[in-house]
Amino acid sequence: MVTKRSLPRKIGFFVLVMAIVAFSIFPFIQMLSISLKYPSEWGSPSLIPENFNIEAYKELLNIGQTAKNVPQSVLTLLEETPDLSEAQRQAILDKYRSSGDVFPFLKYFLNSFLLSFTAAFITVVFAILGAYSFSRLRFPGRSFIQRGVLFVYMFGGILLLIPLYKMFVGIGWLSIPPGAFLSLLVIYIVQTLPVSLYMLGNYFRTIPFSIEEAALIEGASRFGTVWRIIIPLSFAAIVTVFIYCFMIAWNEYLFASVFLKNFKELYTLPMGLKALFTSKNAIWDRIMAASVLTATPVIVLFMAFQRNLAGGLAAGGVKE
Amino acid sequence: MNLTQRIPSEGLDLRQREILLGWSMVLPAVLIILALILYPIVYNIYLSFFDVQPLAENTYIGLENHKNVVLDPGFWNALVTTVIYVVFTTLGTTLMGLFVALVMNQKFPLRGLVRSLILFPYIAPVISVVFAWQFIFDPVNGIFMDITYEKLGLFSSRFNLIGSPATAVWVAIAFSIWKNFPFSYLMILSRLQAIDLNLYEAAEMDGASAWQKFRYITLPEVYFVMGAIVLLRMIWNFNKFEEVYLLTENVRVLSVYTYFKAFVGTMELGQGASLALIQFLLLIGFILFYIKRVLKW
Repeated sequence: MVTKRSLPRKIGFFVLVMAIVAFSIFPFIQMLSISLKYPSEWGSPSLIPENFNIEAYKELLNIGQTAKNVPQSVLTLLEETPDLSEAQRQAILDKYRSSGDVFPFLKYFLNSFLLSFTAAFITVVFAILGAYSFSRLRFPGRSFIQRGVLFVYMFGGILLLIPLYKMFVGIGWLSIPPGAFLSLLVIYIVQTLPVSLYMLGNYFRTIPFSIEEAALIEGASRFGTVWRIIIPLSFAAIVTVFIYCFMIAWNEYLFASVFLKNFKELYTLPMGLKALFTSKNAIWDRIMAASVLTATPVIVLFMAFQRNLAGGLAAGGVKE
Repeated sequence: MNLTQRIPSEGLDLRQREILLGWSMVLPAVLIILALILYPIVYNIYLSFFDVQPLAENTYIGLENHKNVVLDPGFWNALVTTVIYVVFTTLGTTLMGLFVALVMNQKFPLRGLVRSLILFPYIAPVISVVFAWQFIFDPVNGIFMDITYEKLGLFSSRFNLIGSPATAVWVAIAFSIWKNFPFSYLMILSRLQAIDLNLYEAAEMDGASAWQKFRYITLPEVYFVMGAIVLLRMIWNFNKFEEVYLLTENVRVLSVYTYFKAFVGTMELGQGASLALIQFLLLIGFILFYIKRVLKW
């Protein structure tokens, strides 16, 4: 629809676009703004802080916090006993540094990252094999599997939470930290597997079979063609699927909240952020700074691979 | 094209080898899905007939759980809330998506940047945006009260819109529309871009108005993609947990209700299983009805 527009219509259209953009990103600007404001300015509707306050970020990232939580009595004690070695002093100070009052952002970040990255990696490996199988090879049961994948991709979350919880309690995994971590990993794999199979299957079908056929005639094995032809040719799609899986795991809260409940040291970012909000340390600037830091990796990742991801979304490859 | 000569056959012909290879490649994925999706669905049905304790043995209690669930007014409230939530979020998301797609289909400067900015709500983690929303509606500091109470004087006092279930459900609906409209927008936009422009030119020559072009060309073209979006959104929003629970615990849709029953307080896991089963059956029933009646497949 390319039509010439008059000036008033152009202005009206511009206002409309601005309104849509404002609607979409206002909450993001709001959280950035509050994370940088001093408490005295929270009530003011202005989005630009008069004075910038980066204390919340410093606290979350543990920059320059060493002496902050240490009680005066301990500091005096340290001053009065000069024969302590530097390492001993540091050990004493470290005790207070991680007194639990501050939100251990970096630890939660690492937990989330380890979990999401591993889950996405394993999912992608299984999905490449599975999707290749049902998009390329002919065997009885193939179309059943294909349709089944689409079907299971509709169910998830709360419908599976109770039986899965009971299953993992039953095999004793939820009573020890590594078990809880592993069970969550397995759940993230199965939560992302159907959509990955579906997306990669759709993509593999677009690669002409003749390319593979040539390699097969040259004597390559099926695994050889997957490794040397299918994977390189669909690398962009594979990265896209990987990022989807990563994002799904990164954002997950429901299973984490039940499975990691008793293991504070394993909390993922969503768990930690929710716990921070309900704790006595809930202060708007701190919460907003933590929100900004949680959203940033995903948004950066998205911007970097934007073209592929938006295309993938439009192809219907999504899971919620 | 006879490949058998080149590949060592090990006593199997090519077709059998393909079957074997096909199954062995797809097997890991199938086993994981069987063990962790299909088996749990069945196991959940089993659990719903038992008194389930987190650590102790299950005791068979027949239909007791189902009876307790159905006789609890909390369940019916949750069901009504869920229906309201699903209907309004689905309508809102789809219509908003259509509207934004129509706008973004026009050419204008910086369109690429605008298109990626409006995807932000959809890609950001739920947990990272709920607090910003809570702040907006915060009774003391929030901009919503600042505008509606201070500037416009619509209310007689400042109050917490998220505080009571009756008003919080509307905030949760607005939040869901905001969060998910980019999904419908993207799907509709990619369909819009596939429409043959000649159709519009022909219509213009016949003197069609903008509305007529929309009504008789655009709408029929996007009808099916909108039907698919409505189906997907209904399924997803029906099961939605995080977007509601993390924003406000006051809105008890079915999944939040089940979560509280099963994991908060006395941990009624058996009743939770019964609730999950009921939710599952409602969902299947709805999908079958929708596919038959609305999409007419």
